[in-house]
Order: sequence, then C-alpha cells, then structure tokens
Amino acid sequence: MMHSDIKSRPAYQALVPDLAGSRHLLVVEGETLVAGRLEELVQVFAPVQATLHTWLAGASTPMAGLGRLWQLESAADVVDALACASRGYGVGDRLYVQGTEPFLWSVATAAAVIGFSEKQLRLHHAGSLRRRVWCTHCHGTTEGVTTSIVACGGCGRHLLVRDHFSRRLGAFMGVQIDAEVPGEVPTTEEVFP
Amino acid sequence: MTGDQLKLRVAAIQDIAPTLRLVRFENADAGPLPPSATGAHLQVVLQAPDKQIRNAYSLISKPGSRDAYEIIVRRVPESRGGSAYIHEQLQTGDLLTTSWPGNLFAPQRSARKHIMIAGGIGITPFLSYVADFAGKGIDYELHLCCREEEKDSFAPWLPEPDKVFVHWDADGHRLDIPALLLRQPANTHLYVCGPDFLTDDVLEAAEAGGWPDNHVHCERFGSALSGGEAFRAVLQRSGKQIEVGEHESLLEAIEREGIEVPCLCRGGACGVCLTNVLDGERKRPAKSSSQSLVIP
Repeated sequence: MMHSDIKSRPAYQALVPDLAGSRHLLVVEGETLVAGRLEELVQVFAPVQATLHTWLAGASTPMAGLGRLWQLESAADVVDALACASRGYGVGDRLYVQGTEPFLWSVATAAAVIGFSEKQLRLHHAGSLRRRVWCTHCHGTTEGVTTSIVACGGCGRHLLVRDHFSRRLGAFMGVQIDAEVPGEVPTTEEVFP
Repeated sequence: MTGDQLKLRVAAIQDIAPTLRLVRFENADAGPLPPSATGAHLQVVLQAPDKQIRNAYSLISKPGSRDAYEIIVRRVPESRGGSAYIHEQLQTGDLLTTSWPGNLFAPQRSARKHIMIAGGIGITPFLSYVADFAGKGIDYELHLCCREEEKDSFAPWLPEPDKVFVHWDADGHRLDIPALLLRQPANTHLYVCGPDFLTDDVLEAAEAGGWPDNHVHCERFGSALSGGEAFRAVLQRSGKQIEVGEHESLLEAIEREGIEVPCLCRGGACGVCLTNVLDGERKRPAKSSSQSLVIP
C-alpha cells in the first residue's frame, strides 16, 4: 500500500497495545474508521480497556468498547488537546494513532512537543494515501495532495511530489517541475488516492 | 583517552562522616586539569604495600572545573583494599596516577525532568549533576536512600534542598519507588546509582510502570564484578597461567601479573575490556550477553 523505494520512509505498524504501558491513548482519524475497523480495534485493545482513552477526530460515530471516549472536530483540535495534555499523560503511557499520513504526523509531532518518546508511540497508516507537500521554494505546505504534480498553495509553482519525507514537517518534498522549461508541465496523474 | 594517564597530588583530605572521606586532587604537573563532564568518573591507581589497586570514583567537583578533582570514598568493611587504603594510608601531598576522566553516566540534556535515585555513596555522580543543574531552573528531584545518621552528610553539595528527598529505613521514611515513578511527566529521565538490590528494584518498578527503557539509566557499583569462585585462567597471547582469587576479578588478577588491559569503568558497564573465552568452563556468572565473551 505504501510502496516506496526510499528506505528512510517511516514504517507503520499494526496497532497492538503495549501491555507495559501504564495508560493508553488511542487517537483515530474518523474517516479511517471504515466498516469493521471499530470492532477490530475494540478486540485488539480489550486487554487495556480499563486504562484506555480514545480520541476520535472528525467523525461522530456512536461507539463503545474503547475505554473513555472523546470526540474532537479535527486534527487541529487533536493537536491543541495534546498541547494541553502534558499534565494528563506521562512517561509510562502509550500513544497509538490511526489515520492518513498527514494526520499521523500532526499528532506525532504534537506528542513529541509534550515529551513523548518514539518508544511510547505507535503509528498505523489507514485510509487515503494523500500527502502533505512542502514546497522547497516558498516553504509553504499544500494539504490533501493526491496527484503526482500539484500547484503549490503558497506560490503557485507546479511541484513534482517526491517520495522524500520529513518527519519534522510530516510532509513530502515538492520541487518545481518546469524550472528548466517554464510552462512545460507533464500530465498530472492521480497517484495517491 | 583510555590509555592516557594523569599525575595528581592529594591536595586535601577531609572526613565528612565516620566512613566517608573527601579527597581533593590537584595536578602534579603544571597547568590545568582536563575538564570533566557531568557524571564523569576517574580511575585511580592506588599503590598498596602488597598490590596495585585500580578503582573508579565519580567526580563530585563542579563539572568543567580544571583546578581540582574531588571524590568521596566510603570505607567498606569488605574492602578489596581500595577504600581501606584511602581511609588509612593516603596522605596529603601523595602523588597518584589516574586515568583521564571518563563518562558513562551523562545526564540526558533533552529531558524535561530528571529523577535521580541514589543508594548511599551512590549519590556521588549525582552531586555533579546537581552542581551542573543548580540555579539553571532545571526540573530535578534527587532521592537519597541512606542511613539515618548520614542524612545530612552531603548537604554542603546540595544547594537546592527543596529538590532533595532523603529516605532511610524506618516507618514513614522509606522510599516508595513505584509511587515515585507513577505519573511522572512525559520526557522524564530516571537515573539510579547504588547497590544492586536498589538498582534492580528501580529498574523493575520502571518497567512495571511502563517507562521506555531509553529513559532509564543506571550506574552499578563495580563490586558485583570483583569476586566469586576462585579459578585458573590461561592467557592466550602471553601464555601466562594466572590464579584468580575469591576476592578479585579476572581483570585485577591479570593486572597483578603486570599485563596492561584496556579498561574504562571497572564495573562491567562500558565493555572496553570485553574479550573472548577461547576454551574451558566459566566459573562465574556471565556479565556479558554472550557466553563466549567475558568482561574480565
């Protein structure tokens, strides 16, 4: 699904509770909670149900069985909530995230800011392959990119979406595709559905 | 700098408690000493009448200071000679050979909070941590578990007493390790230095409390390595046969024969002395992860 020849790309894992953890926070991007997935998560997280908190972002699905539940509007709300959570979650706790790649990294970088270490974190990619693209020219980011070439939301240049990924930005590198011959832009293809 | 040596002069000796002796060293040669980092130790060569002893001691002097190194040595009844020598023989003005400072126990600079747990004389590396952290607004807690009569012995080195918690073996004063480790903020780092039973308790509690292993750091006393069943060792390169006594490590026995061994911590932590077992049966528990390797 996430095929790439670049070995430095992050590897994502299936979500399994780390029983060594003291408390467990599961953050799910609502649109990736496809039919049957909720039941799977409930089953997988059953062993830590008593110490599980679940934040569901961007979907109001009636649900039970994933510990204490909070419904949040968007990824931005998750990031805000995490920024305020430094007193609530500590060094013994675990964070699990399911979502698209931009969502995973928005949450992962917010968690890193409040001090979560990599070993406390598990990321599971689900849903769309759409990318956040960072423009090497204007340093703007363009969200929700599903095509091989995209017009930069910052400067309007036509960017080739490369496979190079930045964990810090949670984004892929975009470079101007018609720098040599301005205006010569190849056909755009839908490659990250 | 494993091979480099320093020549130091004993500048002052002070007994801070009946079994605790502070020793201050200055450079016997001209010029300032090499700077030492927070958590560093010094390997001191002590020339006792019958043998040479090499012991590693944590530096308690302010990290980076180049005028003197200070150590605190506990006199232990089952001394292998080092602590008895320092407490009975060592005189102001004596010249000693030491290693350059080495550091296997540096604090994690990116930590949001530091929790140090010391057992008795295991406080020494943390005295340099505190000297480094004090006055910088760094969030730390030092928990010292010691005998009640020594609860104030280290006060002169602890400029922020509100961050120091002393525990001893009496009701209401014991350290509840699991409770301490519960609910610490993310990116807290935990350090422990003390006897094996304390270290093991702390490591166990940290694991049970879900602490990621890269947030837990320990420095063990070397004594655990230095004795056991007596045995004979054959050294392949020199062809020598040596008898290793009950109260010494293989490393010490090898050095007694005048053979130089690369080493750094003298406690089985750094692995600089790690070597192969070519043949024969192991007489003491392995301190390395592999049966074919030995930390002498």
